[in-house]
Amino acid sequence: MSKVNGGFAGKILRVDLSTGAIRCEDTVEKYGELLGGTGIGYQVLWDEVPPGTGALEPGNKIVFATGVLAGTGVPCNGRTAITTLFPTCWPRPLVGSGHMGGRFAAQLKYAGYDGIIIEGRADRPVWISIRDARVEIRDARHLWGSGIRRATLEISREMGNDSVVAAIGQAGENLVPMSVVMNSVSHSAGGIGAVMGSKNLKAIGVQGSGGVRIAGDKAEWERLIKFHLSILGGNNQHVVPSSPHPQSEYYNPGSRWVGMPGKRWGAADPPLEINGGLYDLNRIAFRSNSGAFFLGDGAWKYTVRGNGCTACPIRCHTILKVPAVSAKYGIREVAQNTCAGMVFGRSFFKNLPGGPQGETAIEACMVGMHLADDLGVWCNYGQLQRDLLKLYYEGTLKTKIGAEEYASISWDKYESGDPAFLLDILPRVAMRKGELGHALGLGTGGLLARWSIPEETWGKDRATNYWKFGHPKHHANEDDGQCGAIISTQYNRDPQCHSHTNFVRNGLPLAVQKKLAAEIWGSPDAVDAPGNYTPMNIHKAMRAKWSLVRKELHDSLGLCNWMGPWVASPLKERGYSGDDSLESKFFSLATGRQTSREELDLIGEKIFVLHRALTIRDMGDKEMRARHDLIPEWVYNDPAGTPVFTKGTIRMDREDMVRAMEMFYGVMGWDTGSGAPTAQAYARLGLRDVSRELESRNLVPEKK
Amino acid sequence: MEAEKGREAIRLMLANVVRDASRAGRLMGMEGLLESLKSRGATDVEGPDFPGIDALMDETLASYPEIEALESISGQTLYYVPALLSRTYASILDRKSSPVILMAEEVRRNSADYPRPLPLEIFEESPFDLKPDQIADSLKTMAETPEFQDITFVTTSVGGVYLFSSRFLDRHYAAFLAERADVGLALNP
Repeated sequence: MSKVNGGFAGKILRVDLSTGAIRCEDTVEKYGELLGGTGIGYQVLWDEVPPGTGALEPGNKIVFATGVLAGTGVPCNGRTAITTLFPTCWPRPLVGSGHMGGRFAAQLKYAGYDGIIIEGRADRPVWISIRDARVEIRDARHLWGSGIRRATLEISREMGNDSVVAAIGQAGENLVPMSVVMNSVSHSAGGIGAVMGSKNLKAIGVQGSGGVRIAGDKAEWERLIKFHLSILGGNNQHVVPSSPHPQSEYYNPGSRWVGMPGKRWGAADPPLEINGGLYDLNRIAFRSNSGAFFLGDGAWKYTVRGNGCTACPIRCHTILKVPAVSAKYGIREVAQNTCAGMVFGRSFFKNLPGGPQGETAIEACMVGMHLADDLGVWCNYGQLQRDLLKLYYEGTLKTKIGAEEYASISWDKYESGDPAFLLDILPRVAMRKGELGHALGLGTGGLLARWSIPEETWGKDRATNYWKFGHPKHHANEDDGQCGAIISTQYNRDPQCHSHTNFVRNGLPLAVQKKLAAEIWGSPDAVDAPGNYTPMNIHKAMRAKWSLVRKELHDSLGLCNWMGPWVASPLKERGYSGDDSLESKFFSLATGRQTSREELDLIGEKIFVLHRALTIRDMGDKEMRARHDLIPEWVYNDPAGTPVFTKGTIRMDREDMVRAMEMFYGVMGWDTGSGAPTAQAYARLGLRDVSRELESRNLVPEKK
Repeated sequence: MEAEKGREAIRLMLANVVRDASRAGRLMGMEGLLESLKSRGATDVEGPDFPGIDALMDETLASYPEIEALESISGQTLYYVPALLSRTYASILDRKSSPVILMAEEVRRNSADYPRPLPLEIFEESPFDLKPDQIADSLKTMAETPEFQDITFVTTSVGGVYLFSSRFLDRHYAAFLAERADVGLALNP
């Protein structure tokens, strides 16, 4: 990459835990063409981790990396991508990335680093202390065995209030694949905990005293940030409020923009009533309340406030204070999280007294957050809970664990929806206690293999949400027809892509969504109403590509793909358009390197294709269409027998999905037979070296 | 010249009254406008030369295109500024005097535009603010009245009741969308 004057911190930190060697590399010189985040992560794995390496072997590496927009004033920027060989990817570990928000990304930049490459294995438990240029590998034996909260507190006491700590809990220490690393109380990245544990790495503490230089015109930078704020909606870029408001033409009861004048943070001290205008830029933080969205209006009275990442006004991690849980379950009365992390506890139960939004459900969430966010247990987007539900209620579990162990578990509490059940089951997982704890902690793939359960048993059952390789779907056909299904085929874990679903769930009427779709992807037919899917067309394939490319861009720029892209907005005067060029405008100003939307998208595509190449190399197989881009059987069935392409079904048509995949491979410029990128596709993206390496292994499709 | 100036001042005053009301989430009818003029010191509104509030509002609409008129369900004309008070919200305010029409038209609009069924409980919340017995009475009236026969409901697996208009949504699709809204979205974070 040519000289850049801002955005990047400039250095990548490399820490070898085997030798204790610590050194720095120049970010721009070595990785600048791949921006940061997953771009750096994929490149490191490509260059340095040979195929066949085990996820928990010292040869695996962990790359914590953020991007040029992290630590700046750009809204929604606080993301760190953590790339490694994923221990839950089954039947073999393949490249994957977990993503965490919080304050870690900004502090890392302020300390002078765009990323950290962790390699080797320490001979005893350690933590890494980063204070600007002073980096040390420190003894963590006194922290080993403690939960995330304790470890964070101890390290914070030592480093100071302005430090941030990313730590693993007992689950990671015990090499439980279903484990997380977590920073800033509740911001976790799944799948990473055990890899850190395998390296005897308890935590990374970071404290930075620097800043991030912005190369471009400061006034223009400020103007663009103000504009970005003006086109923000609520969480997940839902651009209309959840109920009618005088200032809004549209509303949507499914919107995560639930906070409006009149609503009240009842557990704030003193309680706070939201006031002001719906679109006030200084009140964006009041729009989202994950507690109220997921747990119902009853959660308002327990709401202390919102919390979130550096520079993000959305504050999607809602802090709840539920005094009753302290006496009832012996846990802290305050907890915070969002989405799957918030409903972690509730999701275990088939039935809860008072229903999914009742008081018991809220208590279950509090117990779940208390345990999972300290033990560091990962739910794999709810797959942990769905697996247990299926195993128990279908009677499989009883046949797989011993009678004594089975009898030791309070199944009556499970069935009756008593949150106290979690106090027993989650430590079992974190400590690998008994056969059940051990099996659940492996993740779905490992569990199925261990208990000789055919994978198709899960793949046929829509209730499991299971997709492939040990992981569930993530906003697939149930949200977005063929576009969502394509996206769920592309990664080695659930795809963590929200570009597409943030658009289809934005809350605008279908006609407005179609108008925007025509502007962005060339046809109103690029988007369908949910559950009213039409046959595949090229514009849907273009939207799938756009979604994946933007996801990788966000993961490599330090932006939040749970919020972006920002192509829709709440602004009536803009016809509800957002700005499809926002990322490239910010990138250009931050780095001083003028880059168009098309040019930046090409870099995003390069990063995505590098992930593809890495997957092909490590699978040793170029037949991606047949052996990687798999679609589970449940996608092609409907419990009520509703035919495809009729209203009210998410059922996909088998032949249409064949066409969908071919169209997608076509817009990617890949070989449609194998689903693998061609030599030309690699060359177009500046990946000739990658292509040559794969050609030497016979992993590039031949020219037709 | 002076008379025209005076008239322009009154038009401005009327425009400001409508703007203020919209900002406060209210629609303005003729009666309220006249009262506002009086309270703001317009002295000649009862004099022989006063052209009438209707005529003045026609002129005001021509001079201030951001103001719109709405034909109320009560038959009177109401004024508002859509930039400050959305058309959707204005129509909800207007229909609040008739819970049956309020519910039916809101259900129809949602079924047609988004498309989606509406959770019954939304009518208890602001700005609908209907009491449970008003909702029950309205549902009964709709069930017994030919012009509302398109308004019907589905129940989700967790007991949520969702209203939809069969003019715009078939029952199967409405049931799918209701289940998605009531169960699917929360289980699919």
